[in-house]
Amino acid sequence: MIKGTLGKTANTVILLIAVLVLNFAMIHVAPGDPVEALVGEMGGATTEQIAELRAQFGLDQPLYVQIGKYLWNVAQGDLGYSYYYDQPVTSLILDRIGPTLLLVTTSLFSAIVIGTVLGVFSAQRRNSLLSHLVTVLSLAGFSAPVFWIGIMLILLLSVAIPILPISGMTSSEVPEGTFWYILDVAHHLVLPALTLGLIYLAFYSRLSRASMIEVLQTDYVRTARAKGLPRRMVIYKHALRNAVLPVVTFAGLQFGQVISGAVLVETVFAWPGLGTLAFDSILRRDTTTLLGILFFSALMVVVMNILTDIVYRRIDPRIKTA
Amino acid sequence: MFQRLSRTFLGALPVALALSVGAAPVAHAEPKAGGTLTTFTSGYRTLNPAVQSGASTGSPGSQIFAGLVTVGQDYKIQPYLAKDWEVSADQLTVTFNLVSGAKFHDGAPITGEDVKFSLETVKANHPFGAAMFGNVGEIDVPSPETVVIHLNQPVPGLLLSMQPLLMPILPKHVYGDGQDMKTHPRNMENVVGSGPFKVEENNPAERLVLVKNEDFFIEGRPYLDKIVYPMVKDPLTRVLMLEKGEIDFAPFSGIRPTDVARIERAEGVNLTTDGYDAIGYVHYFEMNLRNEPFSNRDVREALAHAIDTGFLSKVIFGGKAVPGTGPLHTGNPFYSADVPMYEPDMDKAAAMLDAAGYPVKDGVRFSFVLDVPSWAPQAHVPMAEYIQAQLEKLNIKVELRKAPDFGTWVQRISSWDYEATMNGSFNYPDPTIGVHRHFDCDNIKNVIWANTEGYCNPEVDKLLDAAAVEVDFDKRKALYAELQKTIQQDLVFIYMPQDFSATVYSDAVGNMPDTPFGALAPMYDTYLDK
Repeated sequence: MIKGTLGKTANTVILLIAVLVLNFAMIHVAPGDPVEALVGEMGGATTEQIAELRAQFGLDQPLYVQIGKYLWNVAQGDLGYSYYYDQPVTSLILDRIGPTLLLVTTSLFSAIVIGTVLGVFSAQRRNSLLSHLVTVLSLAGFSAPVFWIGIMLILLLSVAIPILPISGMTSSEVPEGTFWYILDVAHHLVLPALTLGLIYLAFYSRLSRASMIEVLQTDYVRTARAKGLPRRMVIYKHALRNAVLPVVTFAGLQFGQVISGAVLVETVFAWPGLGTLAFDSILRRDTTTLLGILFFSALMVVVMNILTDIVYRRIDPRIKTA
Repeated sequence: MFQRLSRTFLGALPVALALSVGAAPVAHAEPKAGGTLTTFTSGYRTLNPAVQSGASTGSPGSQIFAGLVTVGQDYKIQPYLAKDWEVSADQLTVTFNLVSGAKFHDGAPITGEDVKFSLETVKANHPFGAAMFGNVGEIDVPSPETVVIHLNQPVPGLLLSMQPLLMPILPKHVYGDGQDMKTHPRNMENVVGSGPFKVEENNPAERLVLVKNEDFFIEGRPYLDKIVYPMVKDPLTRVLMLEKGEIDFAPFSGIRPTDVARIERAEGVNLTTDGYDAIGYVHYFEMNLRNEPFSNRDVREALAHAIDTGFLSKVIFGGKAVPGTGPLHTGNPFYSADVPMYEPDMDKAAAMLDAAGYPVKDGVRFSFVLDVPSWAPQAHVPMAEYIQAQLEKLNIKVELRKAPDFGTWVQRISSWDYEATMNGSFNYPDPTIGVHRHFDCDNIKNVIWANTEGYCNPEVDKLLDAAAVEVDFDKRKALYAELQKTIQQDLVFIYMPQDFSATVYSDAVGNMPDTPFGALAPMYDTYLDK
């Protein structure tokens, strides 16, 4: 057991280093460097100013020196300094991680719960109207681009029926008090969470539907039915437990994907999270910030995988040691 | 002297560019105090215009910081923090007298020492610092309310550069601590300014909130209580917020000419193209003049005959964009329309290419890659596609290379590793800032928006040098007229329709900032009537 944990930890560390090195290399393959992007945004500069900025950021050193220094700093818990924002990357990320986690967990969690319920329902009545409706909706949700869904939802729920704010996370003038603040954020959260959640809702309803149909045809379900157990008991106690296993697997795997989906959703809705920060950092070649975000995302995916392992064991007692 | 200057500027009435689109703004009776004006920001890295040019920093920056002067209609220089000024007969000494009792947002008095410090800071750190103030020598502060600037050579554009966008008055007691100005922590945190509005909340991820400076040195101003800049990156989201009235005022709206009708239909929303003359946004087709075939002037002329910018303006941009005729924007005080133009004529173009040694061989004369930048896609993409289609008719194969992001494009152009690109730049009111940089032989550098195309003409250099120090407006105008002629004669660039820069605003906005600097000028006269 301990050996297994140690091995896993070592794997994780190697994985994270690989993530850093690969990302570092990939960013440097992209044309343009932070100083050129910065100078462009400033509206031009003299050659001396450009050289000065390069030296200040340490970009005049060979690449292997840069990456060596970077890895050494990360090992000491220092993610570096943002060229663009002039502040430590760690504090930038900590500022932005809250909104992203709120958005991602809200949309993923509601997608899993609602998606599974819809899937389970439609699996029981495979040719009913509801079942077809779920299939059509999930296909649409799965294939439509996320920014398009976002704009359409704005047109529907902010412009045509003006009940939700178009963008941002808070109103510029929020009444005093924690309660009103939470309400205000929740009000702003609905549209982006719905947009991001729709794709995954589609996905989970398809997944749980297929999985449920398969489980319902197995021998042990037939046995359970044959011995006269009530239908509810058969579905929710016997069948569902096995049917949701793939859902949990995918939830763990997909956490990283949801973060990438958040990049687009956050941009459309001006949600002040890691996604917008990542997007801007790519455009600005703000290498350290981008590396920091990717590192953080990798960390979160690792944590999610560990959590998935734990949940797995709770749902299916047969899985003890992998 | 003030009178003399304003007269010369008045004499230079810019070509009327009255492109008034949209409903006429509602006439307001009396300015009202109070109210919150909501505009937007697409992101900024600093609030200090001394170290950063452009609209993202400039539009809040000109509210937070005051300048020595403001620029009114027809480029008339008006007193602001300087109540008056005097220029010596030899044009080499300028003395500014400051208003009494002006204070920074932290209560410290604004003195001549702060003005001196600001000027030195801008000269050393602003991207245009050297172009604007390179000839500024000693600066004396004989009394707290007097500043004397000694010039090594006359600087005709000096006063125009003294408004807050290009020369913000910074508190020396905050910024004078020896830290690097470009990365000074106080550029973003706890910003202490001198202008009509103070920073209340600065969270670049979400919004910037400015509040009225109660101790502003102009009595009874500003009218507005607050200006809110929510962060909205996505242009589509922005249009929807405008239509819904969530934004009252959107300068640099990035609206496409084809969206104008939509905006006009929306209730209570207006659109104007006023307030962009001083920025002077021109677009052009840039060729790398170092290599064949573009090193051949006849080839460039053939292309100029093939590209019908009038058609582009009328058809592609719905008549909303003015065709460019040279390096100067039609709203620039030194603009001249007396330049060689190349009438659309495909047969002539084909004949010229034949004669220049580029006959059709295997169905192709030559081919090249046209870079399309990621910024201003509403202008550059249709322009590039039109050029591609036109040149196809001449058997020139054009491959469009759309840059995925800014960094990619900047790298290609600034390292001169390109054949041709769509490009555009700001004039700024004085040509020494935004125009000279493209043509000066000494500015052939690996820097974006320098002389990247590699054009060098000693005659042009002479003109530039003379115009840079000529203080007589009419003589200077004649020099720039000559420059515009030569640039069009040499076909350094092929000028495209000028930018369709538009401000969208609600009926409630009174005294819309519509001077040449528009929203980049202080908005202490603007009010809301809701």
